[in-house]
Amino acid sequence: MAALPKDMVRTAVAAGMSARAEVAAPAQFKTGDAVLARNINPPGHTRLPRYIRGKRGVVQCNHGGFVFADTRAHGQGDQPHYVYNVRFEARELWGADASPHDAVYIDLWEPYIERAP
Amino acid sequence: MSDGHSHTEPPSTPALRIKALESLLVEKGVVDAGAVDEIIDVFENRIGPRNGAKVVARAWTDPAYKARLLIDGSQAIAELGFTGMQGEDMVVLENTPKVHNVVVCTLCSCYPWPTLGLPPTWYKAAPYRSRVVIEPRKVLAEFGVHVPPDIEVRVWDSNAEIRYMVLPMRPAGTEGWDEDRLAGLVTRDSMIGVGQPKAAA
Amino acid sequence: MNGIHDLGGMQGFGPIVREDDEPVFHAEWERHVFAVAMLALGGAGIQVDEMRHAIERMPAADYLTTTYYEHWLHACETLLLEKGVITAGELDRRVADLAKTEGV
Repeated sequence: MAALPKDMVRTAVAAGMSARAEVAAPAQFKTGDAVLARNINPPGHTRLPRYIRGKRGVVQCNHGGFVFADTRAHGQGDQPHYVYNVRFEARELWGADASPHDAVYIDLWEPYIERAP
Repeated sequence: MSDGHSHTEPPSTPALRIKALESLLVEKGVVDAGAVDEIIDVFENRIGPRNGAKVVARAWTDPAYKARLLIDGSQAIAELGFTGMQGEDMVVLENTPKVHNVVVCTLCSCYPWPTLGLPPTWYKAAPYRSRVVIEPRKVLAEFGVHVPPDIEVRVWDSNAEIRYMVLPMRPAGTEGWDEDRLAGLVTRDSMIGVGQPKAAA
Repeated sequence: MNGIHDLGGMQGFGPIVREDDEPVFHAEWERHVFAVAMLALGGAGIQVDEMRHAIERMPAADYLTTTYYEHWLHACETLLLEKGVITAGELDRRVADLAKTEGV
């Protein structure tokens, strides 16, 4: 493995390393869809926080395809999926004492969500 | 730092361990010593919230730029030359009289480096990460931001690879100000969402 | 992983402590942890997700009682050892040698 030389540092920093990746399959969800964050509890790396699991939200947009963190963290490859921004009402997450006006927005890879009943 | 076996000598400090690690990696050709100094310089001195302030000031003065910024943050921010690591995929969130946005990474410390530099310690620590998603108004009040009850607070958890930056509202009394003067009002905290820009003097 | 890092919504962590005009790095060793992590992990083909998960795998009490760049140092050591870029033996020997010669 070759060390990044000093004169390439600024170029490398400015280029970055986007995690965007093409997904061949069609998107399962679209803006406005009601979804549930799945109750998954993987022992390895995941970016689905516990406070979201099992909660109902509304898809705000499809950001496009991205490398899947859950697999890449374990050397299981990029396995890209669509990432959706989903809005969860504060009262859905925290109960009736939360503000009726507030919400959490979070980015969820497609395997993290399912259609809400 | 525990490593599972007993010591009679005192535990090694982080300073000692990183010296040891770096020296091994340089010897093995994994890390270039000059690159170490260069990357420190880039992030300590060359990248920081003055970048984001320029983006905000441009958006305040140029409605067409603001429109592009809100549609494709990465592209519009790149127009000003700010690109790269931890900012490859940017979304800019507009504060309005009806909506106040605030950004967090509950799981670690994800933050838009090209526009804001490296994050402050409080952003990466347990109190902010745990509390802002569940009691945002209380957290904002501790930062001196009082959001009226009928305004919507949106907390954005940067858990994936999209990075978020807040476009705060332009302060009153700044009509006719040029971009440099406006950028001087834009604070780092206002672009995270835990502060407001400075008032016009 | 349902680890201690998954902090959203937890309670009891107290006030948000801020430092006025906080510097980017608080010590020379922090600068070098940052630089080595960025350069070595990239050089060794280690992904950011692996870095994050290495931090998540810290013992919970250690995670809460060590600083941010100590987390990064832990991740660097863990991953470079796991990937065989360095061995525990050579790291321990280098630490011992530097402790003697530098009095650090």
